[in-house]
Amino acid sequence: MSGTGYYLRLECVRMLRDPRYLALAVLAPIGFYLLFSSIFGGGPVPPGQLGGTVEIMVAMAAYGAIWGVLSATGPRISQERASGWVEQLRALPLNARPVVLSKLAAGMLVALPAILLVCLTAVLARGVRLDAWQWAALVPLVWLGSLPFALLGTAVGYAVGAETAFPLSYALYLAMSALGGLWVPPARLSAPLRQAAYLLPSYRLADLGWSVAAGHAPGWADAAVLAGWTLLLGALAALAYHRPRLRRAARPPAPAHGRVRPATGGDTR
Amino acid sequence: MDTVSRSTAAVALRGVHKHYGPVHAVRGIDLDIPGGRTVALLGPNGAGKSTTVGMLLGLTAPDAGEVAVGGLPPRTAVARGRIAAMLQDSGVMPGVTVAELVGLGHRLYPEPLPVAGALELAGLTAVARRRVDQLSGGQLQRLKFALVAVGNPDTMVLDEPTRALDVQGRREFWTAMRGYAATGRTIVFATHYLDEVEQNADRVVVMARGGIVADGTPGSVRALAGGATVRVRLAGPDRPPAPPGGAGWLGASSVRLRGDEVTLRTTDADATVRALVAAPLDWCDLSVTPPSLDDSFLHLTAAAPEEGSR
Repeated sequence: MSGTGYYLRLECVRMLRDPRYLALAVLAPIGFYLLFSSIFGGGPVPPGQLGGTVEIMVAMAAYGAIWGVLSATGPRISQERASGWVEQLRALPLNARPVVLSKLAAGMLVALPAILLVCLTAVLARGVRLDAWQWAALVPLVWLGSLPFALLGTAVGYAVGAETAFPLSYALYLAMSALGGLWVPPARLSAPLRQAAYLLPSYRLADLGWSVAAGHAPGWADAAVLAGWTLLLGALAALAYHRPRLRRAARPPAPAHGRVRPATGGDTR
Repeated sequence: MDTVSRSTAAVALRGVHKHYGPVHAVRGIDLDIPGGRTVALLGPNGAGKSTTVGMLLGLTAPDAGEVAVGGLPPRTAVARGRIAAMLQDSGVMPGVTVAELVGLGHRLYPEPLPVAGALELAGLTAVARRRVDQLSGGQLQRLKFALVAVGNPDTMVLDEPTRALDVQGRREFWTAMRGYAATGRTIVFATHYLDEVEQNADRVVVMARGGIVADGTPGSVRALAGGATVRVRLAGPDRPPAPPGGAGWLGASSVRLRGDEVTLRTTDADATVRALVAAPLDWCDLSVTPPSLDDSFLHLTAAAPEEGSR
């Protein structure tokens, strides 16, 4: 296995070992799915609308995927900057680009279990049935649609310190989930909130899935809004990534701690 | 052999300067380190050690001058595994095990050591499967060493590798490091622990305010401070014929008599002791104290020219 491939593997391994990832990105969406689908999923389905169990399945798959990619990027990158691992990586024969791409790829990869397990729960616990093509389109679309969130996490990770990165990522996550209609379907939101939801990548990510689940082709508007967010957040991530280098050029490295001194005694070699 | 790119030295710097804004961090350093040596870069904070280390790895580009590692540009040397470094304040990837992390180094370098060999060298075999987050400070530092050693580089650079380690941790670290040096590699380490220089370096390069102020064996640098101290006690009733006059007597640069104790400062302790033996004096309790590296270090770094004075 090449160095970069192994690096990507390590990135995934440490994510899957992290209990916070399992709790928040995998177990929470499954738990919320079971809860919401038992409350809202039972009623009769009007013609032309999605059943509650399917609609909530798509929303929770998106909800898990978003936290998967955000938590694998934002808090982690910022923690690695604080711990000096980023500094050590610069001294290794590994270029900066594959490191950042591996991180993005790892963030994307760990979103897959969250999506798949919510779908599996829906099938097993709520008897959700879709055509084969719908599954084949739904899972990759929700997965790829979470790319803007991976870029958002990368921007957060390079822009803020380790103390701030986790709460900031989580706040952005909750806000976008709530406003994007992942908890309450946007149809039940007031008109101004609904208009706001249409602009959010979280709503558009879920809407891709809702279209497919309803038997339609994914909408161009969804794809266009997600692409716009991808470009915008990608530019932000690049800016945040290059920021320390821009600053370093104008400043000497931080001074070391302590003063010059002979060693303290007691070494009895 | 004018250009450093043709130099066969493990590390060569020619006329290297580096500015950070108004700060002239490195001022025209020339340095050749032949292969197979262990060289200490000694200097106070702000002396330019870390900047020099950064330039050896191509992490920092010099404003002027040339840097070559084994005759190669630094980044090429890093990519080919010819040089590897343990940087100050560097950390490790959280959440993975010791063996997994060293395995990453193993796959990144073109001619690596086996993972087990690097762990053995660093004394980490027993904790190979432990998560890096659960290591002690000393183990963590040796893990960073293993991550460098696994690359099997010709030249290893260690920037203050034992800072923040306790005595036991430092001893274990240097034991691991000497094992690597014994395989004929070049080791360049920056430090401000003087005992580490005495015990581990063949050569010491003293830096102060961005320049090199002394370069030689630890012994020769120590001698720059002004020499050894020879003491004897006069045993017989005799006193030196004339009060042991000033400089020059027994080859000493200064002589002091207090009670029956004679203290001689000398740049050549051997000659002074021989002269003492030949002198018509009855003495006992001879002691010879070598000059201390602390003294010469303070002397040298304090004497370095101020900004703009050269």
